[in-house]
Amino acid sequence: MGKKFERTQIIIGFILFMAFLISIPFFASDYWMTLLVLILIYTVYASGWNLFSGLTGYTNFGLAWFIGISGYLSSILIADYQWFWLLAWPMGGLLVSILSMGVGYILLRIKGVYFAISMVALTEGTRELFGTGYLEPITHGGKGIPFVAGIRLPTLYWSILFLAFATVFICYKITSSRFGLRLVAIREDEQAAETLGIHTTKEKIIAFALSAFLVGLGGAIHCTYQNYIDPNYAFNIQLTLTPIVMTLFGGIGTVFGPVLGATLFTFIHEILWAELTLLYMAIFGAILMILILFFPQGLLGWMKEKGILPKIRKI
Amino acid sequence: MTVREPLLKIENIVKRFGEVVALDHCSFEIEKGSIAGLIGPNGAGKTTLFNVITGILQPEEGHIFFKGKEITGRRPHEIARMGIGRTYQIIRIFPKMTLLENLLVVGKERGEAVVEKALQLLERVKLYDKKDEYASDLSFGQQKLLSLAQVLMLDSELILLDEPAAGINPTLQNELMELIHRLNEEGKTFIIVEHDMKVIANHCQKAIALNYGQKIAEGSCSVILKDETLLEHYFGR
Repeated sequence: MGKKFERTQIIIGFILFMAFLISIPFFASDYWMTLLVLILIYTVYASGWNLFSGLTGYTNFGLAWFIGISGYLSSILIADYQWFWLLAWPMGGLLVSILSMGVGYILLRIKGVYFAISMVALTEGTRELFGTGYLEPITHGGKGIPFVAGIRLPTLYWSILFLAFATVFICYKITSSRFGLRLVAIREDEQAAETLGIHTTKEKIIAFALSAFLVGLGGAIHCTYQNYIDPNYAFNIQLTLTPIVMTLFGGIGTVFGPVLGATLFTFIHEILWAELTLLYMAIFGAILMILILFFPQGLLGWMKEKGILPKIRKI
Repeated sequence: MTVREPLLKIENIVKRFGEVVALDHCSFEIEKGSIAGLIGPNGAGKTTLFNVITGILQPEEGHIFFKGKEITGRRPHEIARMGIGRTYQIIRIFPKMTLLENLLVVGKERGEAVVEKALQLLERVKLYDKKDEYASDLSFGQQKLLSLAQVLMLDSELILLDEPAAGINPTLQNELMELIHRLNEEGKTFIIVEHDMKVIANHCQKAIALNYGQKIAEGSCSVILKDETLLEHYFGR
């Protein structure tokens, strides 16, 4: 009886929270909406990264590649072919998820630091390629593509809110499913998983492509939001590193860790930037070091360890 | 008259690691429903043989047949799904998963059936009470039982056990061997790598002795254990 009551409370709380988030454009200033858009974009990046890397243990340093490829296709479709944004975004996500299957098929055989470096190399190589004259007819080269998608800020906010919600919901479903368990088994001991009948290559590629799709959608919305894309911006290593740090901060391998990480991290970043412009990087670095030293499992992992939250995969 | 097909047939397997020949034209057959012991000194190729059978390593020469079908060159997960399960000498369960999750992750059944089956197996290896604990919290011997339960979750017909009795206390050892006998009576076939000759003598119907990757003897346990050349190799007499 108690458990059922608790469940109802959680559902009501969640509905109220969502209603609040959905209604924000009706009363909040553009400043707050912009901040929330950033939080939601990074929630998608961090959750999408965690979905693959947090569960399988394969550290993906090519998040910017997902973002850049999808960002480019969607931006080109909007800028040069006058596509409607809502149709252009999924095209970007689809393209990067299909390409990631090929990349995954080749690179997901190598482990640890080698996989990480390969993904960095892929991202950097693509960034170079997109800026060269060879692809200039398509990518407009290094000068980038400024464009206007004709989407208003509230609509963009609702779009990214929906994507962030869908991403977290998918992560929640997967983490508490047997597919999720198989991914964790790969992280724990890939060879043992294989001899227990788990088709590890297939599972890894599915998770990788799904991660690429979600992050790619986020990347497409991100570029539309900026009204601009160029190779240095779209394939920037910061786009890879920031979501990883956010995930570590919130709790790697958990469902809500990346959400918590992205939210707190963006807020702290914003406050430090506004209040202590000159010192913010130094203070930011110190905060990060403290967190990594004292909360190696991330905030959520720490709360599970201390018994503040139950030790279940669904959180 | 039909010749009975052996469950597992190893034919002229050669496996090299550079200059070292780990398995040197190794051949033998395993009958369905038997418990066979695989013995030999350290480095004789026992674990390599397990790795070749389960597809972790590919042999340079030779063929392996399971239930009459060739399995040489197949991927480990395919071989596992065809019905060959194994445990490792160094236990390789999934430490940061609960016991129940360790079994659920292996099962193929849908819905509630898989949970039911996992719980039954945990009951069987007497770990039911710990089903929600992390596998890393178990004792060494209990981890061995969990590892066996994982293989049972696969419904393997042939189970390869790499030193199942090593490093665990006699009570648990007896419990484990008793379980193996009961599973054998239910139709499962076992190949057991073991250093403890008493375990082999007491529990296996047949023994295969390896040295330098070659099969040097094969036969009933009593014969093998009396074999002079083997004892020479094994105990350095």
